[in-house]
Amino acid sequence: MFNFIGRSFPRHDGFAKASGLAEFTFDVEVPGMLYGRIFKSPHAFARVGRVDASGAEALGAVVLTPDDVPDRLFNPRLISIEEDTFKDWRVLTKVPRYFGEPIAAVAAPTEDTAQRALEALRVDFEEVYDPVLDPFKAMSPSTRPIHERVMRGGRWIEVKNNIAAELRYSEGDLDSEEKRSSVVIERKFHASRRYHTQLEPKGAVCKLEPDGTLVVWTTTQTIHNTKILISQVYGIPMNRVDVRKVLLGGGFGSSIHTNLVTLIAVGLCLKSRKPVKLVLTREEDMVHDHVSFEFYMKVRAGATRDGSITFGELDNLIDVGAHQIQAYPILGTSLGWFVSLYKWRAVKYHGRSVYTNKVPSCAIRGYGAPEITWAVETVVDELAEELKIDPLEFRLANYRGRGEIFWGQGPTVKSIIRSDGVPELIAKGSEIIGWKRRESPRVKTGRFRRGVGVGRGFHTSGAGGPLSGAIIDYTGAVVKVNEDGSIDYITALQDHGGGTLDAHIKIIAEELKIPPGKVRVVWSGTSTTVYDVCTHASRGVFTGGEAARRAALEVKKKVLEYASRILDSVSPEALRIEYDRELSDAVIFVEGAPEKRITLSEVARVAWQRNWGSISASVSYRATVAPPSFTVYFVEVEVDMETGVIKPIRVVAGADIGTVISPELAAGQIHGGFAIGWSWTVGDEVSYLENGVPAHRMSLTDYKLPTSMDLPSDEDFIVLFASTYEPFGPFGAKGLGEAASNPVIAAVANAIYNATGIRFYEIPMTPEKILKAIKEGE
Amino acid sequence: MKIKFKLNGVFTEVYVEPHETLLNVLRDRLKVRSVKYGCGVGECGSCTVLLDGEPVPSCLVVAAKVDGSEVTTPDHIAQTELGKVIVDSMLEEGAIQCGYCTPGFLVTIYAALARGVRNVDEIRKAIAGNICRCTGYVNILKAVKKILERVGS
Repeated sequence: MFNFIGRSFPRHDGFAKASGLAEFTFDVEVPGMLYGRIFKSPHAFARVGRVDASGAEALGAVVLTPDDVPDRLFNPRLISIEEDTFKDWRVLTKVPRYFGEPIAAVAAPTEDTAQRALEALRVDFEEVYDPVLDPFKAMSPSTRPIHERVMRGGRWIEVKNNIAAELRYSEGDLDSEEKRSSVVIERKFHASRRYHTQLEPKGAVCKLEPDGTLVVWTTTQTIHNTKILISQVYGIPMNRVDVRKVLLGGGFGSSIHTNLVTLIAVGLCLKSRKPVKLVLTREEDMVHDHVSFEFYMKVRAGATRDGSITFGELDNLIDVGAHQIQAYPILGTSLGWFVSLYKWRAVKYHGRSVYTNKVPSCAIRGYGAPEITWAVETVVDELAEELKIDPLEFRLANYRGRGEIFWGQGPTVKSIIRSDGVPELIAKGSEIIGWKRRESPRVKTGRFRRGVGVGRGFHTSGAGGPLSGAIIDYTGAVVKVNEDGSIDYITALQDHGGGTLDAHIKIIAEELKIPPGKVRVVWSGTSTTVYDVCTHASRGVFTGGEAARRAALEVKKKVLEYASRILDSVSPEALRIEYDRELSDAVIFVEGAPEKRITLSEVARVAWQRNWGSISASVSYRATVAPPSFTVYFVEVEVDMETGVIKPIRVVAGADIGTVISPELAAGQIHGGFAIGWSWTVGDEVSYLENGVPAHRMSLTDYKLPTSMDLPSDEDFIVLFASTYEPFGPFGAKGLGEAASNPVIAAVANAIYNATGIRFYEIPMTPEKILKAIKEGE
Repeated sequence: MKIKFKLNGVFTEVYVEPHETLLNVLRDRLKVRSVKYGCGVGECGSCTVLLDGEPVPSCLVVAAKVDGSEVTTPDHIAQTELGKVIVDSMLEEGAIQCGYCTPGFLVTIYAALARGVRNVDEIRKAIAGNICRCTGYVNILKAVKKILERVGS
């Protein structure tokens, strides 16, 4: 049994956050700093002539133009290996390709002066083009190319028909599988562009140390990749860039890459040689900075009369906006999610990422899995219905589970599933929701109709694998025992709020048998930590936690070695270590010899006094697998047939995350996963006018998010954890963050069908669309 | 213009521009960083403060109008007896994730309790002006129940 894992402890950063004393990028201040503002393109597609900085400079502002930044293409997301990294970005552009693309920037001693300087900038446009907004029209050979050529690694490649990246894949004999299918279903799906709505808008603060080292605080999910990109773009050695870790007010993928605002702030800082703070307003953040991918999916799938799935085909067209962040990797993971959901005997896939003159898309929680899972889980529901087989039985018979090959993160990251809680979650969840009492939509009448739906899915735990592959995935941890036995834990890994670092604290405490309160997370930077790729892919606990455990294990070995010297034991292996609740410390002892006993704190003190040296360990770790965390959602909704308004009534959410390290925080991930999934299903959408300007929703007044009144209360939300153990995870744990939201759209959509008899193949399923469909049905 | 108001119980004088909001003055002039900027249009509740005991989004308050009033911010509330009950309960129930919106929730819940509200549903309505993208509000509602148990009638 565990001492600390699975038990509740108040999170280490909780008071700081609740009181508001915790520091976010927005709160960072450096004496003498200038305030930056960005000149954003008023056109969605144009060519800049001249940038006249004289008016701004006359006000005392420092002005950064495209000519002041290195003429070097880059991709803000460093996750793929170099030869698979597509580069089409510049810090400031002379060819704006979306409404709001940064063309210039200013910095001045006050925000007011900066704003006036911004307004004094004169930018002439040589040409203004009609923006290309429809991804299907974008692919027509007669459409103006948004990029003529981009770089892949170190070489130029031509862009044809505005296709940023393309991936095809097939396996098995699709034709013969289709022939032996009793049922074949083909459906088209469309998932909107959605804004992340992380509560903290993006920003950056930079300063130069007297020795020339650049120090950066910024909204990021990865400090090391930010360091590397700054180094590559500005040609600064990496040990002269120290990106400091600072709290992130929500990520959800929006800061998975290095934000453009960071690179612009660095440019202003280097030019002015003064500290610079550059933060976005909410409007800038939501209109000009980031948005999810937009999916157009066509799924074809078949099954035999006895209920076994035969083939699956996915045509996946993704509108990536004006620049690539992960246009190529998202095609691979989309395929990975698709292939790993069910045991297709034959698969055919065609994925295309297409440029349009819109804000560049980046990952949003799930990285394509929520959309693919929705499409597949809808078609699977329809297949089961067509075959008159219970949808749960159909899923259990056909899903990819224990012992099967799994490659959620794409074809280069394959491993075998070793822990699988799906049967348990389906059994328990269906019992609680009352699945057997579920009625057909045909028998439902009246204004308010209720329906129950299921959605099953998964997410990977990280992107590790037995081979190196095309994706970089490793992390590091430093554990240091102070001279009094207290522990410093030094990591680059960012905690978005899910409690990742609290899990690490417990993992270290569990390994060393000391109370979690003795472990302090040190706020550090890239100069004082070893590399961590990013907090993404739900890898924080699985990969980061295992790195922390390994560092703690090395420390434990040293502690035992020193203890064996002190206790005159024949060898460190002869010693036992246990948590002593009364002493609130680890005790090391020889079994059967009660006098041979010492605490970890005493070992640390003696090692110091006798000049034996520090007890510490630095670990760099790559996971050799990326196991799926399975989730099964049962959702009951109520549809108002007169207004089209949908309400969530009950949620039963099951998660197989191996060992549960922090029950209340893990449950919080699931509640939040449902909330964002619900929001995507019923409301989130960024749409555009013909000139490429977002149609509406320029502020949170128009872009409505679910409130405390719109989501289920605690009484109507049941969370279940499967009793599984993942052999590769720290103390048996797997990831959770994205698994928590991946099947939500699917479950809600299937519930809406069960209530109304109408299937929706487009998100958001707004009241207007629902009402229209109801009227058409009548 | 110069304004004088009570900030967390202490008389404070500060120079403000006519167009400045209370949020700007608190954060930029008085360095009260516990009040967070989220939207600037009074929708998200991250910048909630108590103005003469009422919870208001400080981004919608013209600073000049605060002259003679009393303003209380989350960092101060967190140190009060009632504030500690709220924070502890939120911590125990896992109601805090990224933490950017949390100070606003603290202020809104505190204000409701201070007005004598002792009902979960009423507090649920009160926090409908505070947006959280992380928690789905479930653990926040659990914390509210715990707070009500602890505060009693």
